[in-house]
Amino acid sequence: MATGFLTDTTVCIGCKACEVACKQWNQLPADGYELTGDSYDNTKTLSGTTWRHVAFIENPKKKRLTGDVDLVALAEDVREQLPGGAELDALGRWAFMSDVCKHCVEAPCQQACPTGSIIRNEFDNVFIQPDICNGCGYCIPACPYGVITRVPEDGRAFKCTLCYDRQKDGLEPACAKACPTESIMFGEVEELERRAEQRVQELHDRGYTSAFVYGTPEVGGTGGIGGNHSKFILMDEPETYNLPRHPFLPQEKLNQASAASIAAAAVLGAVVAWAFRG
Amino acid sequence: MTDVTREAPQQRNGHVETSHHPRKDDRRQDKGYYDIPPIKEHTWTWEVPVYFWLGGIGSGAHVVTTIARMCGNKDLAFLRAGRYITLVAMMLSPVLLIMDLGRPERFYNMLRIVKWRSPMSMGTWGLTLFANLSGLAAASQAARDGLLGRENFLARSFAALPDRLLSILAAPFGVFVGAYTGVLIALTSTPIWARNAVLMGPLFLTSAMSTGLSAISFVLNLGGWGERKTLESLQKAERASLLLEMGLIAASLLRMGRWGKPLRSGKLGAAFFGGTVAGGVLAPLALLQGRESRGRGILASLLVLAGGYILRRAILEAGKHSARDPEATFTFAWQENLPLRDENV
Ligand code: SF4
Ligand code: SF4
Repeated sequence: MATGFLTDTTVCIGCKACEVACKQWNQLPADGYELTGDSYDNTKTLSGTTWRHVAFIENPKKKRLTGDVDLVALAEDVREQLPGGAELDALGRWAFMSDVCKHCVEAPCQQACPTGSIIRNEFDNVFIQPDICNGCGYCIPACPYGVITRVPEDGRAFKCTLCYDRQKDGLEPACAKACPTESIMFGEVEELERRAEQRVQELHDRGYTSAFVYGTPEVGGTGGIGGNHSKFILMDEPETYNLPRHPFLPQEKLNQASAASIAAAAVLGAVVAWAFRG
Repeated sequence: MTDVTREAPQQRNGHVETSHHPRKDDRRQDKGYYDIPPIKEHTWTWEVPVYFWLGGIGSGAHVVTTIARMCGNKDLAFLRAGRYITLVAMMLSPVLLIMDLGRPERFYNMLRIVKWRSPMSMGTWGLTLFANLSGLAAASQAARDGLLGRENFLARSFAALPDRLLSILAAPFGVFVGAYTGVLIALTSTPIWARNAVLMGPLFLTSAMSTGLSAISFVLNLGGWGERKTLESLQKAERASLLLEMGLIAASLLRMGRWGKPLRSGKLGAAFFGGTVAGGVLAPLALLQGRESRGRGILASLLVLAGGYILRRAILEAGKHSARDPEATFTFAWQENLPLRDENV
């Protein structure tokens, strides 16, 4: 059985309950009190001590509103034909998104890890075994989503465990439990996929045609790594949420790189033999 | 109300312009999240470029002496230089690597598993095998040179080792140690490295070879050791490997394209082009033309050794710059397979 998250950004209200619940349950230290001045997001990014991060996306639109627009009607019913061909998107939108480790199906971090510290556990989650990791730091640039960092005071690498300990006791992860709007859903991946499709269909029917699921192998984003066990319902381009459009599995190039190196070795060997011949 | 055009004051050509978001470069896409990098840069410190460099020198020195011996070279001073250089490099390498770990006392966890798809795991094993095999060959050399004393058990048993066989056995692992560091950084999500995945191994291996050759010829020239013929062969091999290195650097820069910008611009670009391309490859190539001379040989060797270090250091630094640039990541992780139609964008 594979478990995962489905984070529906369309109902997220940016309360950061998940961030706090995660920090509390996993006893993660605070990251300081820096103010970014960009938005209400002063966490900025995922790290070894921040396993849930709520992004605050102020999303001004590129389209211009033309014509005489009834803003009340616009807000009440988006399906209504708007005068002058205006679109709801023209109002702009404030989007929130609770980011987390994607628990990749073919996880680059797991393939990179030289100690075998990063494993897939019995719930098919990508898990860093803290008693094995020796802090080599190779998983950090390997992850295509920038999820992992090495915690300086500790020396080891950390990331979301998908609350392995809670799952073992039959509990859902702390963030999903704390989320007041069910933006974060936890469950079996297949079930979550069904729910995601349903929700996207619903959104399309209501006129939000830009909604899509990020993290499935077929659509959007994750061709190279076989999809994610943490999926997201997004309303805008992945880049807007600081997600790469088509993350790739770096280890895919291993064979090419090795073959090229062997060829280079043959050429260099021949060159040295030529210089020293006879 | 008649037709009015509403435009949010902060919108100009799709670029957001507020006090917090000054408009920057017109070519930049209006994308991303407050310019916060979507991926993380590597956190390796000074030990890693020094190791990449030393490991390369050891690898090159060993492979060169082994091949030369197989081709019939009998110069003992040359063999000694090669073996001792490799020994020193291979004794320092693990120390540097362990120092760089976040938890150095757990280094042995690297040896609990073999992972074919992880260049760092394979590198650990390759380095272990190479260091031990070449170390035994060097120990046997030391015993024969009388460095371990004459009449003791240790000296006698090391002297009895089949040093030639050990050298030949170590050679493939030596090649591996020279190349894998390039493949290691190439198999990450850092755009500038990943883009050049195919050429990274050959580039590092060629540089390993030229720095290994230079280390040997430096020692021989400095001490006034070695036969004239060996020195000439070394010079020939150095010239050829520097030419190959130049070609690989050029091909890599071409291949990196727009993602190679960190290596081409700013202080880093100056260090790379000045220290590696001009100082570490072209200048020694010029110095090594014509008849073999001691002074010019020494200068060329030093330049190649410095250039080899700058090459690795610059490429590792460039990886940081590349990972810090959101646009590099976004444009690199791209495929026209997104279910977003134009009008929604
Ligand atoms: S998102 Fe990054 S850390 Fe999470 S499983 Fe994928 S590669 Fe590993
Ligand atoms: S830092 Fe730890 S988890 Fe990451 S690759 Fe190294 S050993 Fe594995």
